Amino acid sequence: MTGQLIISGLTIGSIYAMLALAMSIIYKASEIPNFAQGDMGMISTYIAYMILVVHGWPFWMAFAGAMIFAVILGFLFEFLFIRRAKEPNILNLIIVTLGFQLFLYGMTGWRWGSDQRRLGMPFSETDTINVGGVVISHLGVATILTSIIIMVMLWFFLSRTKLGLAMKAVQQNPMAAEINGIPKDRILGISFAISSVIGAMAGMMIAPITTLDPNMMWDPLMKGFAAAVLGGMTSLPGAIIGGYLLGIIENLFGFYVSLEFKSVVAFLIIVLVLVFKPAGILGHHYVRKV
Amino acid sequence: MDMKRDYYEDVQLLHGKTARFWFFLLLITLASLPFIIKGYYVYILSLMAVNVIVALGLNLLVGNTGQISLGHAGFVAIGAYTTAILMISFAVPFIPAMIAGGLIAAFFGFLLGLPALRLEGPYLAIATLAFGLAITTVIGRVGFFGGHMGLSVPAVRFESLGLTRDESVYYVAMITAVLLGIFARNFLKTRPGRAFQAVRDSDIAAAAMGVNVSYYKTLSFAVSAFYAGIAGGLWAILIGFINPGLFSFILSILYLATVVIGGLGTILGSVLGAVVVTFLSLQLENVQTIPGIGQLLEAFSKQFMTLSGLPNIVWVLTGLILILIVLFEPLGLYGIWSRIKTYWKTWPF
Amino acid sequence: MPMLKVSHITKTFGGLKALDDLSFSVEKGEIYSVIGPNGAGKSTLFNCINSIYTPENGTISYKGEEITNLSSNGVASLGIARTFQNIELFSRLTTMENLMLGRHLHMKTGLLASASMWWRGSKAAQEEIKHREKVEEIIDILDLQAYRDKFVSQLPYGIQKMVELGRALCMEPDLLLLDEPAAGLNNEEREDLIFWIRDIRDEFGITVVMIEHNMQMVVDISDRILVINFGKKLAEGLPEEVINHQEVINAYLGQP
Repeated sequence: MTGQLIISGLTIGSIYAMLALAMSIIYKASEIPNFAQGDMGMISTYIAYMILVVHGWPFWMAFAGAMIFAVILGFLFEFLFIRRAKEPNILNLIIVTLGFQLFLYGMTGWRWGSDQRRLGMPFSETDTINVGGVVISHLGVATILTSIIIMVMLWFFLSRTKLGLAMKAVQQNPMAAEINGIPKDRILGISFAISSVIGAMAGMMIAPITTLDPNMMWDPLMKGFAAAVLGGMTSLPGAIIGGYLLGIIENLFGFYVSLEFKSVVAFLIIVLVLVFKPAGILGHHYVRKV
Repeated sequence: MDMKRDYYEDVQLLHGKTARFWFFLLLITLASLPFIIKGYYVYILSLMAVNVIVALGLNLLVGNTGQISLGHAGFVAIGAYTTAILMISFAVPFIPAMIAGGLIAAFFGFLLGLPALRLEGPYLAIATLAFGLAITTVIGRVGFFGGHMGLSVPAVRFESLGLTRDESVYYVAMITAVLLGIFARNFLKTRPGRAFQAVRDSDIAAAAMGVNVSYYKTLSFAVSAFYAGIAGGLWAILIGFINPGLFSFILSILYLATVVIGGLGTILGSVLGAVVVTFLSLQLENVQTIPGIGQLLEAFSKQFMTLSGLPNIVWVLTGLILILIVLFEPLGLYGIWSRIKTYWKTWPF
Repeated sequence: MPMLKVSHITKTFGGLKALDDLSFSVEKGEIYSVIGPNGAGKSTLFNCINSIYTPENGTISYKGEEITNLSSNGVASLGIARTFQNIELFSRLTTMENLMLGRHLHMKTGLLASASMWWRGSKAAQEEIKHREKVEEIIDILDLQAYRDKFVSQLPYGIQKMVELGRALCMEPDLLLLDEPAAGLNNEEREDLIFWIRDIRDEFGITVVMIEHNMQMVVDISDRILVINFGKKLAEGLPEEVINHQEVINAYLGQP
């Protein structure tokens, strides 16, 4: 039983890991917790829904369309709003992300109403495969694989490409990066675009499990944050581990302790981590200098 | 410009004849409004008063102490449920029940303030967000709190004073709002409020002045939660029925939006923000009924969006305003107001 | 008993020793200067005394009482005030309010008293009046009248430095730590500052420990000087002794 719980925890944990990864990318580059992350993913998922269900085009087109939309959305968000804040302190930037979150939430509700819709994926959530007594749906396999593919691609991008190295440089020392000719703002825009794509994938993977509606991302967003905090906010591997861990812990808690209060686990984890190990599993905490 | 004669004038509640005149005029207007307008409009004014109270408290925390809370709906929920349960199950009269609600919310604020001591901006935002969600989850799952179905709150009516139900709620809410507004203003003029602002501007220097930074951060959370709890009790008797869905994450953001739109760190900002946001959200819920714009939006919705989703325009606009404020006018409505004031004072120069 | 006694303190950041087994003591009524090249650990020393950092080793005591592990506000409550190298004023408050924060420890108004400030005779109002009068004395001494109700973020740099000094004086401390008080001041402002620092000691009997780069000023007003480099003590003594000390000259000008 525990094995089964861990595997299904891993499935949902993959989604948390993706969201945590998306948040950590932005947090590392700008110290902004992006509260619009969830709804950016949601609206991209709606785009996929439009292409796939409403227009009836093939899945790969829906997928590509959603991803392109996510890239543009992420980049525009940074370019139009984040970059132009008058006093770009943390509070103000958090407010911008919240404002954008409300805006997207409202637009989605306005365009598609609050009906719950189904996003049909080419992977079934009812057909299962059986690995040594542990059952996992095709969709679950696809989710876990997606998260792993994203990780590998991100790792390759950050460590093997020029753009990725520039991104790392901006994350570590924005001023030095700028002096060396790296356009800091543009890199930040690209970070937002990448994170938006990862968030959109998470949205598409979670839509078949829950349903597609304007409220679908609140809970995952919170879990993504919890996972990111657990991993240390500034560490990408930490975010991934945090995501998987949270998924597993949550599932075990739901079975052995209380199913009703399963969703409070994330809150407990955030509080415990922040009180006892503010740096998370793999992050590092630093103190302001006077 | 008159010369300063005494330091009392620095901290005096109403300094000068003009200030006193306008304040008493305001009080008289507020007191006589229920005789002039009726029904639904009295309800709207009461709702504004309730939101002013939340905004005052939240602004003390965010604008003056520099902390952030994305879970204030949780404190409002605690206040509302405490008041309702005390009234239903223990037959406590409304006023003591409301104060108890405020105090219990303050206690939770204090508890949330404890981890908040170690948390900087982004972490704190996440922790408070999680708190808000956890509160509604717990309330929704426990039968004692009425679960998802919610609770009916007993009506409050001061019959001996010859008031209707709407009017009773209106007077309680208004008097509470004015009192709490004056309290907030007094805090800011004296030692505790100065300590809040010192923590906001430089916690290191504040500590070097002997300000106990942890104490004031938790105190700020507790006070802010107290305001929210009181507002929760008032809101409960105003709408007569509460359920966990009311106190959502979106409501917490809306509260934050209220203080940002009004102007961070000022009392007038809290009031302006609450009045404007309350008015806007009520108007936009029935946006079709506004002449001109209503038909336009309806046609637009039918063509490109959905008609049933039109009320969502509240969120679209609030979100946009929030972004525009940060982009162009970080001091919000208060900033615009003080700019206009300077313009008139110095005109034609 | 010395006013301030620092014994064998060590503070490291990563592998870097910012303070390395440093000891010295300051007597009551002294003007004691700490000098050294950039990065010598001077500000770290102040931050340790002020309990912003806790040293790994060694102790700091004040009037015979150990303060190494106190909190920052605990240190302040014993009567140690300080200014900062990069001005740390409360930028969105006025000069008056900044100075009133210097009175924080001398005041008692709590939340309830504050809420009930409804008339002149109320406790909170009385206390405000009393302490504003005290602040006014400091404003007079430092010539800050013109800036009383201005927001400090709008004041010129030199004035901000003076407000910071004033804020520390409002605490009525016994020991005042000044971190580069003359940095960025013009000649005239510096002359005033020298005058005031002497006054602070002579009139108020406050012991002054000062970090400063301006040698002229240091030699002018210090009773004793401590020279540190790489967190270690290079020399300590009367101004004339120190400026002629061979190691000090080497540290500043390089080995011949």
